[in-house]
Amino acid sequence: MSPSSDVFPERLKAARALRGLSQSELAKFAKLQASAVSHFETGARKPSLANIRKLADALNVSTDYLLGRSGEVSGAPTADVLFRDIAKLSADDREVIQQVVAAQLAAKKGGAKDGGDT
Amino acid sequence: MVATRSPSQAKGEELVRDLELPIDPFAIAKGEGIEVVAKRVRGASGMFIRVGDNYVIAYATDIDNVGLQRFSVAHELGHYFLPGHGDHVLDANQVHKSVAQFRSKEPYEIEADQFAVGLLMPTMQFRSALGKMGEGFVAVEELASLCNTSLVATTIRVVTLSPTPMAAVVSGQDEVEYCVMSESFKNLKGLTWLEKRVPLPKRTATYDFVADPSRILRAERAQDTTHLHEWFGTGPDVTLVEEVVGLGRYGKVLTVLSLEDDVDVDELDEDEGLEESWTPRFKR
Repeated sequence: MSPSSDVFPERLKAARALRGLSQSELAKFAKLQASAVSHFETGARKPSLANIRKLADALNVSTDYLLGRSGEVSGAPTADVLFRDIAKLSADDREVIQQVVAAQLAAKKGGAKDGGDT
Repeated sequence: MVATRSPSQAKGEELVRDLELPIDPFAIAKGEGIEVVAKRVRGASGMFIRVGDNYVIAYATDIDNVGLQRFSVAHELGHYFLPGHGDHVLDANQVHKSVAQFRSKEPYEIEADQFAVGLLMPTMQFRSALGKMGEGFVAVEELASLCNTSLVATTIRVVTLSPTPMAAVVSGQDEVEYCVMSESFKNLKGLTWLEKRVPLPKRTATYDFVADPSRILRAERAQDTTHLHEWFGTGPDVTLVEEVVGLGRYGKVLTVLSLEDDVDVDELDEDEGLEESWTPRFKR
């Protein structure tokens, strides 16, 4: 299980301090409501993955860092999965997950080599 | 009567407020930079995978039902757009190990389903379309076609929003799996809830239909009239139209119960009001 809800507020504060942004500046860059960053930092509201992605983009840090999955601002990517019907998860499904993860990592590696931003 | 909306459904509706039916969940995913891949293997109906800063939705295509597939993609989008769903994850590299530790799945999955309903069948657009359609199963089919959604999901939505008395029952084998009713159906005087797992009433078209599994598989249809008391035991003395359809490989049967065209709902309530005035009340 990800400890994201415990770690996220602290990581968000740290990343914002690193980039020298106020809460309202960050909200503006991430196209979020002005009060959203404050709510996320106090833990009053939980972010969606869509919000986390916007914040990571605006702060130029990795999603993994904000989720507490990596100690570095831009470290090696980790992978998570959510799904319905967990009882129905088959061996074939696990194979699909591994293939998707491998393909995404390969694309990222290729992008990095080319100097592209994936 | 205003149908209640969950915050998750409202979130789905908010995203498509300015769009027309049918809503395309694939286009919404694309707009967010989420890759959507078809998985032909049997297993989970959908998966949402995060790899670093990238997101992928994998949806099952082993069951050939476009409505179901679109619903799966919309459901997975719910995990992306709903607050707190990022906490509910497994480490993709240790999925096998993690599954055993996985707990409290239901609230997140229910929320994602509510989101999908709001996204694909948003109240404002759906209600507007519903007002232009016919009654009973005709309305369901037209709306399923308009929204490109499955018959069951569309039926539940139609019934929930219908201003007229209407109910839908999904049955498997010879018992009721669940029943949904419109607000005005629930308000029929003296009506009792149709419980899950009760045996199907014998003198109904649905009972005869489920007796032949090949009819379910062939997605055959049947229509008859029935009486409210046959199904619910209590309530007003009224005849209902009973429309039955087999759900193919899903193996279940969908029944839509609605009033006959010439029944005046207001008169029904007045009669029942009179009856209620002299019927002794009992504490439950």
